[in-house]
Amino acid sequence: MRTHHDAATLSAVRPAVKRRTRFAPYALILPAVVVLIVAMGYPLAWQIWASMMKFGLAQQFGQPPQFVGLENYISMFTTATTWGVVARSLTFCLVNAVLTMAIGIGLALLMNAVGKAVRLVLQICLLLAWAMPVVAVVTVWIWLFDWRRGVVNSVLTELGLHFTNHNWLGSALGLYFVATVIVVWMSVPFVAFAVYAGLTQVSEEVMEAASLDGASALRRFTSIIVPMVRPVLMIVGLLQIIWDLRVFTQIRMLQDAQTPLDSDLLGTYIYRLGVGSSDFSMASALSVFVLVITILFSIAYVLSLVKEDS
Amino acid sequence: MRGKIAALALGVASALVLSGCVASPQTPSGQDTGPQDITFWLIGNDTPQSLRDYLVGQYKQVNGGTLTIEEQTWGDIVTRLTTMLPDSANTPDVTEIGNTQSPTFTNVGAFADITDMYSQLGGDKLLQSFVEVGKVEGRNYTLPYYFGSRYMFYRKDVWAAAGLTAPPKTLAEFNQSVVALTEQNPKAIADFSGFFLGGQDWRNGVSWIFANGGELAKKGANGQWTSTLSDPATVKGLTQLQELQLKASKAPSTAKDQSPWLYINDSDSITDTAGAVTGSTTLAAGTIMAPGWAHWSIGDLTKNDAGRDVRQWNDDTFGVFALPGNDGKPAPVFAGGSNIGISAASKHQAGSRELLTIIFSDTYQKMLGEQGLGPANKDHMSTLGTDQFAQALIDSASNSKLTPAAPGWASVEASNRLEEFFQKVADGADITKLAKEYDDFITPMLNKK
Repeated sequence: MRTHHDAATLSAVRPAVKRRTRFAPYALILPAVVVLIVAMGYPLAWQIWASMMKFGLAQQFGQPPQFVGLENYISMFTTATTWGVVARSLTFCLVNAVLTMAIGIGLALLMNAVGKAVRLVLQICLLLAWAMPVVAVVTVWIWLFDWRRGVVNSVLTELGLHFTNHNWLGSALGLYFVATVIVVWMSVPFVAFAVYAGLTQVSEEVMEAASLDGASALRRFTSIIVPMVRPVLMIVGLLQIIWDLRVFTQIRMLQDAQTPLDSDLLGTYIYRLGVGSSDFSMASALSVFVLVITILFSIAYVLSLVKEDS
Repeated sequence: MRGKIAALALGVASALVLSGCVASPQTPSGQDTGPQDITFWLIGNDTPQSLRDYLVGQYKQVNGGTLTIEEQTWGDIVTRLTTMLPDSANTPDVTEIGNTQSPTFTNVGAFADITDMYSQLGGDKLLQSFVEVGKVEGRNYTLPYYFGSRYMFYRKDVWAAAGLTAPPKTLAEFNQSVVALTEQNPKAIADFSGFFLGGQDWRNGVSWIFANGGELAKKGANGQWTSTLSDPATVKGLTQLQELQLKASKAPSTAKDQSPWLYINDSDSITDTAGAVTGSTTLAAGTIMAPGWAHWSIGDLTKNDAGRDVRQWNDDTFGVFALPGNDGKPAPVFAGGSNIGISAASKHQAGSRELLTIIFSDTYQKMLGEQGLGPANKDHMSTLGTDQFAQALIDSASNSKLTPAAPGWASVEASNRLEEFFQKVADGADITKLAKEYDDFITPMLNKK
């Protein structure tokens, strides 16, 4: 999926081009639309249909599903568990997105400021982190945070802190902490590179003029750099929110190591409902709800783009 | 404008990424005759290569077709079976399935009816508790493949240093001993557990429920299942378990039954400046409960011929015994193991039935036993041998029990409710109140098809 997003990112920041004909653009966009409808529209339609059925393991093995209307949605929204999961997911998503953006922007500014050699080293390090397969990454982090033999506990204990046999994954908060470390570690490179690419477009003349006028570094950042790279920041931020909202692998793998109570986020909860408990209709209903949340986030972004254009 | 369209497309695309897809169910097609190429799913690497080779060779001889064995993993087997079994184009023809997972799938018609083969494959000589979980309304769908119940591994040196006699004769004696062992901690090890048992480890913890006459669920006269965590006998077992968790086990309350043997080995030693060993750093448990094959992972660290680290069992340091029950006989522990069945959607029913005939043949049953896997046919129990592991396996299995054969049992397991419940018990919750709460969660799941 990353390539789709990246391609979209590029076209989103490109300036608008005047249209010459009426039909050519539509003809050009047609293949993409067809692929979207076939590859994504069908499962989406199936999902909405299934969310209004009673669809369990027996239906998977051929029995006809029964139409129940909005019953799944009603029981979903009246369950406290659902709202707990939604609240935890939104919090986790926002905390991670903000941290990733902050660290990513910081690194981008650093890359912009340092010399070529240092920048190269930084970029290679970031690329390596970015290129690492997620399963390998999480496995290594689980070992690092192991409660008995982990390096983290060992180092903290060496430093004189009481971390012998500290069980990082023993509580939901601990698990989220480790997950946040992993997610941020893995997503920062993308933000750093995207923002760095944006920074290279900020003309040096403008920056020089600003400092001659006596603008401080902070002022130059908030009043010149941020407005100029705003489109990049917006789209990268939105992507982070979407990716962090649907985080699955990291949480699921940490839960495989140890499963503290109430540690499910939306992704793992849907998985548990659907694949685990074979309650496909309930899982579909919750997925549709997540879709709605994601669309709400995206609409906010689209509206701000529209405002900017007019 | 382009920017807006791209942004809109992006929004839609990102949103769509979230949607999943479940394969549509398919109906089985007609059967062929003559040589058939079939696929057999084994789960995990418990079945040794020599046995797999035998099956492939024998199938070629009997049927003429090719048998392909594909190894699956326990972690996602329910998912794989859920998506693949209904699909006649992709279903394995024959598959192993966890014994506790069997009821859920047999109840929805995932397996072919093999009642007519039952007596030919061993009939009443097959492990009946396993036959039971493969049965629906008197018809056989899955049969036992192998069993491997859980027993205790203990440190002879640590028990002796605390002046305790092993093995204990009754469950009460065991409970007292491991608590005393923890309190004495004769080797002064930090966070030492007399009996190391993860808080969420219900598969081992359930032995205390069974040993006190309790059950996880019962089937009523109306055919409906009810969760029975709050029954007095179950509560009694849970109370004993809670005491062990609080007074004998320092395992994390979030730990499951994964690799407890890590804590019974002493692989790392602390040495003083003169090189003398002053203590061990990883030994943390005096006793653990694990499936029999764990003994390959327990012992002194040595190198094998290939130069790789292996464990060498040491009779001076380590011992095994079956968990004793209240009456001095082995306690009813959880019977681990798996069943085997033919996919109802398979296009190769004839070939699949021939494979079952090979698996339940005397030759193959003996081969299972010789490899330390409990054979499905009780007539071949003696092939397990006479060493201490075989003895502990046979003892512990003699009284072992399975989880309820309720249609929704796999869902109960997958929901993690039992892990939650046992963790709360281990953390010291009010058992009676908690048990009622979880009965309310679990009862509806039990009856859901």
